[in-house]
Amino acid sequence: MAGVGGGNDFQWCFSQVKGAIDEDVAEADIISTVEFNYSGELLATGDKGGRVVIFQREQESKNRPLSRGEYNVYSTFQSHEPEFDYLKSLEIEEKINKIRWLPQQNAAHFLLSTNDKTIKLWKISERDKRAEGYNLKDEDGRLRDPFRITTLRASYVLKNLLIWFFPLQVPVLMPMDLMVEASPRRIFANAHTYHINSISVNSDHETYLSADDLRINLWHLEITDRSFNIVDIKPANMEELTEVITAAECHPHQCNVFVYSSSKGTIRLCDMRAAALCDRHSKFFEEPEDPSSRSFFSEIISSISDVKFSHSGRYMMTRDYLSVKVWDLNMENRPVETYQVHEYLRSKLCSLYENDCIFDKFECCWNGSDSAIMTGSYNNFFRMFDRNTRRDITLEASRENSKPRAMLKPRKVCTGGKRKKDEISVDSLDFNKKILHTAWHPKENVIAVAATNNLYIFQDKIN
Amino acid sequence: MEYKVEAHRIMSISLGKIYNSRVQRGGIKLHKNLLVSLVLRSARQVYLSDYYAGVCLNAQHIEAKEWELMDADREKLIPESEAAQPSSADCGVSEAAQPGQTRTTGGAQLCLKRHVGAEDGRASRLQEKDSDSLDPSDVAVTSPVSPAISETQCGSSDCETDADAAVTEGDSRQPPKDHACSHRKRSAEETGVSETPVKRTKVTPNAIVANNEIEEGEEMDTSNVSNLITIFGSGFSGLLSKDSAKSESETDDSDSGSGQICCEQMLKNLNPWTTAIVAF
Repeated sequence: MAGVGGGNDFQWCFSQVKGAIDEDVAEADIISTVEFNYSGELLATGDKGGRVVIFQREQESKNRPLSRGEYNVYSTFQSHEPEFDYLKSLEIEEKINKIRWLPQQNAAHFLLSTNDKTIKLWKISERDKRAEGYNLKDEDGRLRDPFRITTLRASYVLKNLLIWFFPLQVPVLMPMDLMVEASPRRIFANAHTYHINSISVNSDHETYLSADDLRINLWHLEITDRSFNIVDIKPANMEELTEVITAAECHPHQCNVFVYSSSKGTIRLCDMRAAALCDRHSKFFEEPEDPSSRSFFSEIISSISDVKFSHSGRYMMTRDYLSVKVWDLNMENRPVETYQVHEYLRSKLCSLYENDCIFDKFECCWNGSDSAIMTGSYNNFFRMFDRNTRRDITLEASRENSKPRAMLKPRKVCTGGKRKKDEISVDSLDFNKKILHTAWHPKENVIAVAATNNLYIFQDKIN
Repeated sequence: MEYKVEAHRIMSISLGKIYNSRVQRGGIKLHKNLLVSLVLRSARQVYLSDYYAGVCLNAQHIEAKEWELMDADREKLIPESEAAQPSSADCGVSEAAQPGQTRTTGGAQLCLKRHVGAEDGRASRLQEKDSDSLDPSDVAVTSPVSPAISETQCGSSDCETDADAAVTEGDSRQPPKDHACSHRKRSAEETGVSETPVKRTKVTPNAIVANNEIEEGEEMDTSNVSNLITIFGSGFSGLLSKDSAKSESETDDSDSGSGQICCEQMLKNLNPWTTAIVAF
């Protein structure tokens, strides 16, 4: 099978890999979030050390028409620092949980980045000019000599002649090497008692929501000292706590609609027009549990780790530990599609519980046309499902397949019985190599896959 | 029986995770701890029901032997058990029944102490048929709550009522009483097993008690696990913070000490530094 996606047969090829090759991975370098911006020109990653790295796609050059633009580092900055909550004697991790881009409105780019407690709005802007000619003394202590002209440009000469008569200079803008600056424009702090797990920009481009384990707040991008609490599932008596919020997202088109998922495998859709406090849902999505598959760990594996609306806004996708489900917003009692990601792990749940892997939060993403979905797995495998043809493919992000434009070979996990050549048995899977974060370019077939501390970029080969 | 070993192992692992979450960087993660506590609860239910099934089987085995010998005694005991169960009296020893006594705190704590005893690996102790009457009370609390676990019918229904009785007197733990309770349990079982009409009349009171037990069971469950934290004492003090999962979510009502700490910390967090949350 060649590939998956759309009507054509796509063939995924290696494009680039970013990150260190060392076997020893520093904890701070582990990538914790990946996100394309609205145009796909920029790709942002956040890591456990609180840093954000933004890659920019090079313009396609006429010299190399076959290879699409490559992503190169555009900006790197420290978004969050470790903090200490003195009241509770707790350290607040600097790990970037989520990055969300704002739609571009001017030359600068804006993104929201969040750790467990604080959300920051960053402005990333370019600077290619620098002001020179300030009225400053040079090393000799003398005022700058206006006649020390460094360029023969006529306007510059004329300006300096004038300075002869008027000694004070007006600084002049001079070209310089391109510099990309990131500056924090807003800091939204002190609104979450529990750990923030999601942020989502609203389609009105003015507000955004942030969700922690028990509450969801609505913010205005301009206002940092106030937020509206729109969902609060904290019980009066914490003894009665049975579920927490695991993810939340705004509808892509309807600015009054958002969804949030829970640890019990349910999704609630809320309409902010109905009430100020959206504790009562408008729609409740839940699939009845299959009683035959009950085990000690049924609750854990039904917990939803990610929820994403389709670009059309008609569907949403949820990821739990073993599967991905596509829901039609008009049908609440069951998903319209269910895809098994790694069903072979169902018999290994106990050992996955012991080594904490069962708590891994996998994300999922749609392609630009909503015809395919992608999610990660273990052993640096990631899976893609074509919704139209119902075909699926397993690919691996590894250094071995890192030759430029090398086509990725489909991988297969052998679930039992005789292991065929090129198959991997379940017991040989490396559970330390997990792909939790993936992103799909909003318009093209370019994907970014985060494998621990490395970022792989794959492209579809043009046939 | 292998479920029991598995359940025990899972319980130990879960407790280890809860304990380790204290020292994790970034504070206690509510979601993970909630999931771990759910696993702990399921495993505990299976473990105790499995244990209880074993105890009942043992008791039945002994009863089968004693059947012919104790014919006359049985006739005497049947009316006693019948009279005692609807009123949820105690084990029928000289101690007065205290039906009004709340069965949460004391019984729960003691249940848990037994549970912790098991954790220490003294599983063999629980196997003994003349073990503490409080162990069946543990089971009785949880068995109606877990419908998925199949048990011998006689065991569950009769032991419930008897455990009911045992719980009410949970505060006093005198050995003579325990033995009496065991006897009581056995005799009650015996009447349950026998095909006499007595059994039918007992079903209704059993059902009523079972319903009550279900409600109480849920409550006791959480209080049992919360008492786990008090058992571990200061080692869990880090859990008693607003961010924590288990201490907050399962602090016993009677465990007002930790509840107070939670409240205090909540109040501290609602200090002027926090963002004013505007809600209409």
